[in-house]
Amino acid sequence: MIGFKNAIYKLPVPCFVENAAQIEQLIFTPACQGNLAVYLHKPEVKAAKKVGIVANIATLRSVLQLVSENQLGDIEKTVLTVNAQNELLVFDNMDALEQYVQANFPVISDEDKKLLDQVNAMTRAERWQFWTEQFSACVKCYACRAVCPMCYCSTCTVESNQPQWIKVSSETTGNLEWHTMRAMHLAGRCINCGECGRICPVGIPVHLLTAKMNQNIEAEFGAKTGFSFKSGYALNTFKPGDKEQFIK
Amino acid sequence: MNTYNIKSSQLASFFDQLIQSGKVVIAPVLKKSGKVFFEAVKSYDQVATDYIQTGFSAKSVVFPKVEELFSFVRNDEDIEITTHLENIPETVVWGLRPCDSSAFNYLTEFFLRENPDAYFAARKKKTTLIAISCAKADEACFCTSVELNPGSTVGSDMLLTMMGQDVYVEVTTEKGKAAIETAASLFTASEEKSKDEFLAKITAVFSMDEVKERIKTAYDNAEWKHESMGCFGCGACAFSCPTCTCFDIQDEGTQNKGKRLRCWDACGFGQFTKHASGHNPRHNQTERRRQRLMHKFKYSVENLGIVSCVGCGRCIRVCPAHLNIFENILSVTK
Repeated sequence: MIGFKNAIYKLPVPCFVENAAQIEQLIFTPACQGNLAVYLHKPEVKAAKKVGIVANIATLRSVLQLVSENQLGDIEKTVLTVNAQNELLVFDNMDALEQYVQANFPVISDEDKKLLDQVNAMTRAERWQFWTEQFSACVKCYACRAVCPMCYCSTCTVESNQPQWIKVSSETTGNLEWHTMRAMHLAGRCINCGECGRICPVGIPVHLLTAKMNQNIEAEFGAKTGFSFKSGYALNTFKPGDKEQFIK
Repeated sequence: MNTYNIKSSQLASFFDQLIQSGKVVIAPVLKKSGKVFFEAVKSYDQVATDYIQTGFSAKSVVFPKVEELFSFVRNDEDIEITTHLENIPETVVWGLRPCDSSAFNYLTEFFLRENPDAYFAARKKKTTLIAISCAKADEACFCTSVELNPGSTVGSDMLLTMMGQDVYVEVTTEKGKAAIETAASLFTASEEKSKDEFLAKITAVFSMDEVKERIKTAYDNAEWKHESMGCFGCGACAFSCPTCTCFDIQDEGTQNKGKRLRCWDACGFGQFTKHASGHNPRHNQTERRRQRLMHKFKYSVENLGIVSCVGCGRCIRVCPAHLNIFENILSVTK
């Protein structure tokens, strides 16, 4: 069972319960902001086969998206959440989970909306300046990748050295390349949990890139991420009725 | 040790004098993100004064995140190699905390004790550390557990302790004396004073002697797995740590023109110990996190005689999973 427990320093920490005696440690409060879905990729968790996970709305959406990307097939999942009425909900089938998520689908937070509007209002040159400045501070600790439940490639492009696509050293151009590559890879797959931006040790609002991508994907293809476990994701789904002509 | 007083209203003049003497001054600056980071400043107005700890440590002054070791150009048969050791400027680090300055002692031992590292040596030689005692702390601070304290002079050239209208100045090295000389008229000699009432109160969470003893047999403790399950394997803790020294050598450029770089690396990364064969001796995150913590509290004690954790609390503050190094250490040494 993956959940949260209290910790000395401010926010709750992830807690992995393996027997009934440890269950008392589990808590679920508004401070449980982390997206535990990322642990569903952990080899130790996959090996357990039967997994329970305590989920906030971002985690619920991540589970749907991961199922739609065929990532959780081997795991028997039980998903726990608490609704607005403070009732415990337990999902062990994806249809019920999908219904709940669709009825409680979150809107982008006011804070992120404000930041996105600011970036959208910039001229192209200003935007370039903004991101260049932000990414010059990146140290390539890859915490943004590590916390992302959708970043589950077993070998990341940045770890390829023959050929080396992206420099190992941290400098502005290479940092931009890394974040652009990641954003492109997450276009229409990011579930907007905002963890990457929240945990960046240097405070880069990196989640805005994928949030913006998602806005574009929704506008172009009418697709929402983490909305259905059956839909796949917009950029690799083709249907005979698609309005785009280029594929025909 | 020499002790002085300076009026707190005169600190800005002292600071500006350091800049005017031609030194690069690195100081804490409040960034738009709301976090405080060290960077080169031009005047005291830019310096943050209300902060518990900077986001990253000052180690980048002597061990940059990317250091160019040399550049090369090939002309026909000749290869011209250029190093930049002689271009390192005189640098003052202002406002680092006593935990950070004590980390410089460890860094110095690590880089200079055997096979001295020329790049570190050149930077260290030109660096003066002006530390500021901590008047406040948070739940992540645990310097007193690793036998330091918020007013420790270990590792710094000069320590400033804010005492209301006065600043008490402790100078422990020749570099510290030289810094005083840049603005000697601002300082008056002082008797040695007790700093206690002006320092943050930080209760020790463990006994260092007990931890040192018990960690000797902690390698196989089952708690490592439990405590490490949450670790994502990023480099946030290592990169923000004042004593993490691992690096990766990278060549960039072409066969005819390029440079060799030394880049920060982190033992938490899955690739860190991965062999060319594909075998990875530290094949899961439990072993990687154990390595990081055992290095701080056991291996560096065996190799250099120093506990290489200074209790700055950065790894706790930046950890995306909010893992807590001292809780981890406590649970494996119970």
